Amino acid sequence: MRTLTARRVIGACAMLLGVLFVVVVISLRMGAFPLSVRDIVATLFNGVLGRRERIPSEFALVVFGLRLPRIALGILVGAALSTAGAGFQALLRNPLADPYVLGVSSGAALGAILSLIFIPHVPGAIQAAAFVGAAATITAVYFLGRRGGQLDSATLLLAGIVAASFLSAGIMFLMTTLPGRDLRGMAFWLMGDLSSPPPTQNVRAWFVFLFVVFAIAAGAIYLTASDLNLILTGEKEAQHLGVNVHRVKLVVYISASLLTGLAVSVSGAIGYIGLLVPHAMRMLFGNDYRLLIPTSALGGAIAIVVADTLARTVVAPTELPVGAMTALAGAPVFIYLLRRRVR
Amino acid sequence: MSSAAANPGSSLASASPVAKSAPPPRLKVEQVTYAYAAADRSAPNFSLSATSFQAQRQEIVAVLGPNASGKSTLLRLLAGVVGPLSGRIEIDGVGLGDLDLRTRAQRIALVQQESELLFPLRVWEFVLQGRYPYGRRLRFESDKDSLLTGNALAQVGADSFAGRWMNELSGGEKQRVILARALAQEPSLLLLDEPTQHLDVGGKVELLRRLRRLADEHRYTVIVVTHELNLAAEFSDRIVLLHKGKCLRVGSPVEVYDRGLLEQIFEAPLDVDIRPNGRPRVTLRGSE
Amino acid sequence: MVQVTLGGGELIRARRYRWLFLLVPALALSCGEAFAALQTANSSAGPQRLASHTVIDGVGRQVKIPANVDRIVSLAPNLTETLYALGLGERIVGDTNYCDVPPEAKAKPHVGAPVNPSIEAIVAQRPDLVFATTSINRPETVDALTRLGIPVYTTDPHTVRGMIDSFGRIADLVGAEKQGSALTASLNARLGALHARLATLPTIRVLFVVWLDPLITIGQNTFIADALQWAGAESVVVSQQNWPQLSFEEVVRLQPDYLVFAASHPGEGGVTAKGLRSQPVWKDLRAVQQGHVAIISDEIDRPDPGLIDAIEQLAHELHPDAFKPDAAPAGSSSKASRERVAFRAFGKKSEIAPQGLKPLMKGRWVMSDLKVRPPKDRLFSANYLRDDARLESGLTTRCCECAH
Repeated sequence: MRTLTARRVIGACAMLLGVLFVVVVISLRMGAFPLSVRDIVATLFNGVLGRRERIPSEFALVVFGLRLPRIALGILVGAALSTAGAGFQALLRNPLADPYVLGVSSGAALGAILSLIFIPHVPGAIQAAAFVGAAATITAVYFLGRRGGQLDSATLLLAGIVAASFLSAGIMFLMTTLPGRDLRGMAFWLMGDLSSPPPTQNVRAWFVFLFVVFAIAAGAIYLTASDLNLILTGEKEAQHLGVNVHRVKLVVYISASLLTGLAVSVSGAIGYIGLLVPHAMRMLFGNDYRLLIPTSALGGAIAIVVADTLARTVVAPTELPVGAMTALAGAPVFIYLLRRRVR
Repeated sequence: MSSAAANPGSSLASASPVAKSAPPPRLKVEQVTYAYAAADRSAPNFSLSATSFQAQRQEIVAVLGPNASGKSTLLRLLAGVVGPLSGRIEIDGVGLGDLDLRTRAQRIALVQQESELLFPLRVWEFVLQGRYPYGRRLRFESDKDSLLTGNALAQVGADSFAGRWMNELSGGEKQRVILARALAQEPSLLLLDEPTQHLDVGGKVELLRRLRRLADEHRYTVIVVTHELNLAAEFSDRIVLLHKGKCLRVGSPVEVYDRGLLEQIFEAPLDVDIRPNGRPRVTLRGSE
Repeated sequence: MVQVTLGGGELIRARRYRWLFLLVPALALSCGEAFAALQTANSSAGPQRLASHTVIDGVGRQVKIPANVDRIVSLAPNLTETLYALGLGERIVGDTNYCDVPPEAKAKPHVGAPVNPSIEAIVAQRPDLVFATTSINRPETVDALTRLGIPVYTTDPHTVRGMIDSFGRIADLVGAEKQGSALTASLNARLGALHARLATLPTIRVLFVVWLDPLITIGQNTFIADALQWAGAESVVVSQQNWPQLSFEEVVRLQPDYLVFAASHPGEGGVTAKGLRSQPVWKDLRAVQQGHVAIISDEIDRPDPGLIDAIEQLAHELHPDAFKPDAAPAGSSSKASRERVAFRAFGKKSEIAPQGLKPLMKGRWVMSDLKVRPPKDRLFSANYLRDDARLESGLTTRCCECAH
């Protein structure tokens, strides 16, 4: 028997990081503005070395102002959604769970619409309102999803579905009142779109902030990885083995919802990533959550960058929203995964 | 009192002073009662009235009684899932309610029917989970863990299928694996909840023999909840006889198996013989 | 509970991870520096432009207009058409996939659809100024471009007069004041002439149909509603929403005198008066029974100079008696027949225009020198002729391929 070692986890992560790096470089190459790989490497090189005067201003603009922020956002969103998906699959004891099943994305969308109606064109308003909407939904579903004072998987699932449909109805109603151009913007947001620029001038601070929130929430879930392994064999059995099931479920619920809310606030509801990436990683690396969580995060980042690159280039110069691409590609990938079951 | 679990937040209390003369009994149950709260509508309004018994190292205690006699409630109390309404349960002199979750898992292991696994798991991975109570929360298993897992599998005779998937096993094999996981916890106390339910006769005997061996050779204390009269008589050192929530008798099999009492409890015409080895045997009367 | 037999983790067994350990710190370092570079990139974004002056655009944003506007990107078909009408076609370096009027616009480099253009493609054209409109572009696009230091001027047409004024402003912005005032003057004159003819007549109640099923019409704040008024009509529907959806009962209750469709509504095949008479519910409408179904040029949808053509066309359809029969303008024909007229007038496409006529677009001509009298057997598209010019030159402007 070969137990999981920290070394194996690091090794798998390093391999995925390598893949991510390659994908990022390829993605940097693609776009309407003509840039060769040499240009990109030179720009990155000079950027890393701090020799920014050497970079032609347009190269810097396209690489650092357009493509890199989009890729960085994609990495963050992909990692957040996949980690949340893995967490929810354990929490709800349901392999079909994805991060949106508990209504978080609908709550965020409602927040976004309300901000468009009441405080349009304030930078950062949509993201903040979306996050508030997500947080409110998380809280409401938590209280609805309890049974006997504790989170119960089945009740939680039902509560989430009810919340999601109720909020969606509200969203549909409100969308009819939006003026034309905001409606278009909202439709894009709902599909999942990485092209919105950061809401603050200080781009670096924005990404640092996002990364810190991601690290805290994902780290909290990772700390419960051993517990989740046990909980998946049975909650009662886990309790008898010394797992504080109630606390673990609460931590996973809050952290995974936080990750989902974060992702949805900045990029809308990108679908299929939270559902499929954990399953793909299970097939490659097994069910142990100590390995599954970091590999899901990296796998999600890779998936989103690939999807976004395709969305940008497939019908160039028109840009598809990345959510449309994940939906288009997600279904066949899912079918492929099903057919390649190990047993 | 409602069905509150033992407080998980309590830290390990210092052990009560141990008498220098004799070590405290492995398990001591003192005047323990329990009732489901009236507000808990899903559970029958049931109670366990004052029950007391003790168990020493290397002993097998059988908790015996017909259905709905309070056996499962007693087991839950022993496992620490619920706290008693009144009375006290002590493990090696330490009150059960004073232990935190992890320490409790290091002392007590519960063997019960496994709920269906959500994702595929290998046998050794499953047993390895028994090592969870030891070490930090997020940890990678050490060599010692692997060693103890191997030992546990060997103790139940499951090392030959350690590499197989859990959902490929037969009922008997699965139960052995569940037992192995419990053993991997290195517990003082082994609790088994109707372990012979899905086994054939050969399997039942094999299990009880194994438990006997574990108790004798590895010094476990085993509490078995069952309604198998003869198996309990044959293999256990002590019997706790329950009926409708009341503890009717505690003692050795010979002491407890009184024909009139058994007939009243199980509502069937019975005969009790004493076999050559001193153990009683119960048979159904009236078919001659 | 569903038993999922996925997973197992047996697919990866390689242990060749060691050399990748070097990659991680290198990546971390470069990511850090890249993020640092992000900071400076945004602060000095875009090619340096000498900002000449700051204006307020149609949605109230401040836009820094550079001194020389030589490279323009248009993000909407009506803006493209407007720019061409102002004679600025050569300065356009990028437009959308849907910019098809005039035909030369299709040959320009495309930046995508109006709703989701590629920011990179726009940047790649290095524009000095980008034009957008609230009727079809998203604020997010405008924000993204502004953030990169590219000035974007957004128009927000609500009324026809306002639209004409914005043409003038656009022309001023790019230093084409002369063309601007010529265009606005000509358009305003045509509007004025129309108004003069129709002022005394009662307005006709029309229902402007954007889409048949579901039934969508226009709200009172749209420029189409205003255009209808200039054509001597008014929409029977009063709504604050821009594209209100109606129930058919409401239409029956309102009983408009006329139904108005644009040529491409509601889809392929279009709509004809005859077709409506065979449709189950529509045939009972008074307007359909009387044949009061007007189908006008698609220009009614676009806030650009061609809108005036469409208004004139509609006015002719609704108030035929207000116009002298011999002065029926060619504006009531569809776009295609307009071009056919022009080609017919001048034979082959390559034919040289008669002296004194300055070509603006293929098929459309403007009389620059009133002293020239074209021969009588030639026909002209009269779109950009001033009314008084027409009268003075005694031109016969008859269209032979009208929709009536």
